[in-house]
Amino acid sequence: MARVGLVANPAAGRDIRRLTGGASVVDNRAKRRVAECVVNGLTAVDDPPAVAVMPDKAGIARHTREEAPPGVDVEILDIDRENSAADSRRAAARFREWADVVVVLGGDGTTRDVALEVGDVPLVGVSTGTNNVVPAPVDGTVAGACAAVVATALVDADAVTRRHGLVEATVQGDGTSLTGLAAIEVTDTSFVGTRAVVDPSDLVGGVVSRGHPAEIGLPAVAGCLGPLAPDDPGGAMVRLSDPDAADRTVRGLVAPGLTTEVGIAAHRRLDWDEPAVFEVADGVIGADGERAVELVDATVEVAPVADGPRLVDPRSALDAAGEAGVLVRDAPTLDD
Amino acid sequence: MLLIRESEENTKNHFADGNIPGFVHLYIGEEAVGVGACAALDPDDWIASTHRGHGHCIAKGLDPELMWAELFGKRDGYCNGKGGSMHIADVEAGMLGANGIVGAGPGLATGAALTLDYKGIDDQVALSFFGDGAVAQGQVHEAVNLAATWDLPAIFLVENNQYGEGTPVDKQHNVENLSDTAGAYDIPGVTVDGMDITAVNEAVAEARERAVNGEGPTFIEADTYRYRGHYEGDEQVYRDQKEVERMRERDPIESFRNRLIDRGELTEEEFETIQTEVEEEIADAVAYAQKADAPAPEEAYEDMFAETPPEIQQFATQAMPDGGHGGESR
Repeated sequence: MARVGLVANPAAGRDIRRLTGGASVVDNRAKRRVAECVVNGLTAVDDPPAVAVMPDKAGIARHTREEAPPGVDVEILDIDRENSAADSRRAAARFREWADVVVVLGGDGTTRDVALEVGDVPLVGVSTGTNNVVPAPVDGTVAGACAAVVATALVDADAVTRRHGLVEATVQGDGTSLTGLAAIEVTDTSFVGTRAVVDPSDLVGGVVSRGHPAEIGLPAVAGCLGPLAPDDPGGAMVRLSDPDAADRTVRGLVAPGLTTEVGIAAHRRLDWDEPAVFEVADGVIGADGERAVELVDATVEVAPVADGPRLVDPRSALDAAGEAGVLVRDAPTLDD
Repeated sequence: MLLIRESEENTKNHFADGNIPGFVHLYIGEEAVGVGACAALDPDDWIASTHRGHGHCIAKGLDPELMWAELFGKRDGYCNGKGGSMHIADVEAGMLGANGIVGAGPGLATGAALTLDYKGIDDQVALSFFGDGAVAQGQVHEAVNLAATWDLPAIFLVENNQYGEGTPVDKQHNVENLSDTAGAYDIPGVTVDGMDITAVNEAVAEARERAVNGEGPTFIEADTYRYRGHYEGDEQVYRDQKEVERMRERDPIESFRNRLIDRGELTEEEFETIQTEVEEEIADAVAYAQKADAPAPEEAYEDMFAETPPEIQQFATQAMPDGGHGGESR
């Protein structure tokens, strides 16, 4: 029987951008309903996959099991729970050997945590976070249907997934490293504080694995300078500067509810593993919009790296399902 | 944070030795919340505190000597020795009072914010500290609702130390994040790491900016942890001490100290110097308070009424050998 793993991060979508920007709150009740929809969506196929859900403190997993439709077997994954990002990573590591598809409810951070451990298992991302470049704001039921057609091999996974890149930062000398899915940002704030990169003027630059004006944060800025598809090879480096003194500026969607004029000091495409070097006198490097590592007088190499997660494109998956004839059933005629 | 920690360690010992009357609730482990928040406020801003208020007093800049005098029940204390641990207040310093009533602080903050609004003062705010247990109290709802409805310059800061007395937070609240309740008042809510002073400071600074810009109140939840029991003497049968040890690994003082040393902004020697200064300051405050006079028994009749009613005056006259001081408010 086909198997689908479900990771729903109760902590996603709560950071300071609810004060500083236009980010909305996705509460746990909403997340429980989305998870319930995902499992219902699995019934789009005749023989729905079995489901294992990451355990959580907010009752999302329990609700998902209780509300599962007849015919869908839902179990709660038996792992130690820390109520932190470690849970997503631990669940993903288990799903690497167990699942045919993993559905992730969260933002870029959650998707990254899963991506780092899940290996080649295709991911269906459902956005419940804030600064989301990678997971799409797709309905849970649709995500469930996509997971079902891919997990049961009714459609060819290779044809409907795209291999995403990653971005890796390494601090010279001390070996500290940080991995981002869509971006590694360098800021000139001194502390991680509330983690979210709140003020665009704090951004010094960074490296992205993708870019498009329709994205948000540093990938949006890079995208204005030249689109970079998620499965394009390599990445792009951007260095920002004071917009009043810059030769070139872009109007970037830097955070939810915030567009701002950003000065561009440099922009360059990078090959896989080609590092951009940032000298950080007093700053913080972040991944996917969250400040993470405080640095003083450090040199950081940031490079796009290949072999990130395989992401299912929901529209392609259901197109392929239609083409394979699994969405329509004709009643038998007398001739049959 | 060090001053609070040192003062609270001394409070623990003096309470154990029977030198402090009444009850004490210690702030050890939660220092980053009080200090991070008060550092984001202006000296003219108001705070309302809780039964666990010693840390808030120090963070708001109250004098440790007068605080300790109050803890010992001495006449020089902030409440002339009649309030004790749970009632230390200094209105002139913007500290509206520790509070023995769980959930009473937000009402004071809403009131102070209403005063600011009424008087047209647009550069001050009122912040209330309260605990996770208080979030289940009706008056907290009333206070937040009114402040939200009238767009008052208030900040509601929940110190979620994971236990309401002995009840774990998830056994008392249906929401996982207490900041989710903000949505019910149509105001922004955010949960931050209460063990990281930089996170609390940033969030309160943003909330303060919203408040002075006329954007109304903000609800902040700081996830923190108290190392000691609910009160001194609490047997803590509701939690495993291993949990306490685990949380101590994230100690707000230790971790910030290490970060500052890593950043080259503090040396081990400088830290030791600060530690020594802090120990001396608290030792001096304790010594001062120990030497200070206790209020005379007849002073029990003072400080209760703006003007002492005749029947109280008569009672004092009868009860006290010298007839009491009679009706003069201190």
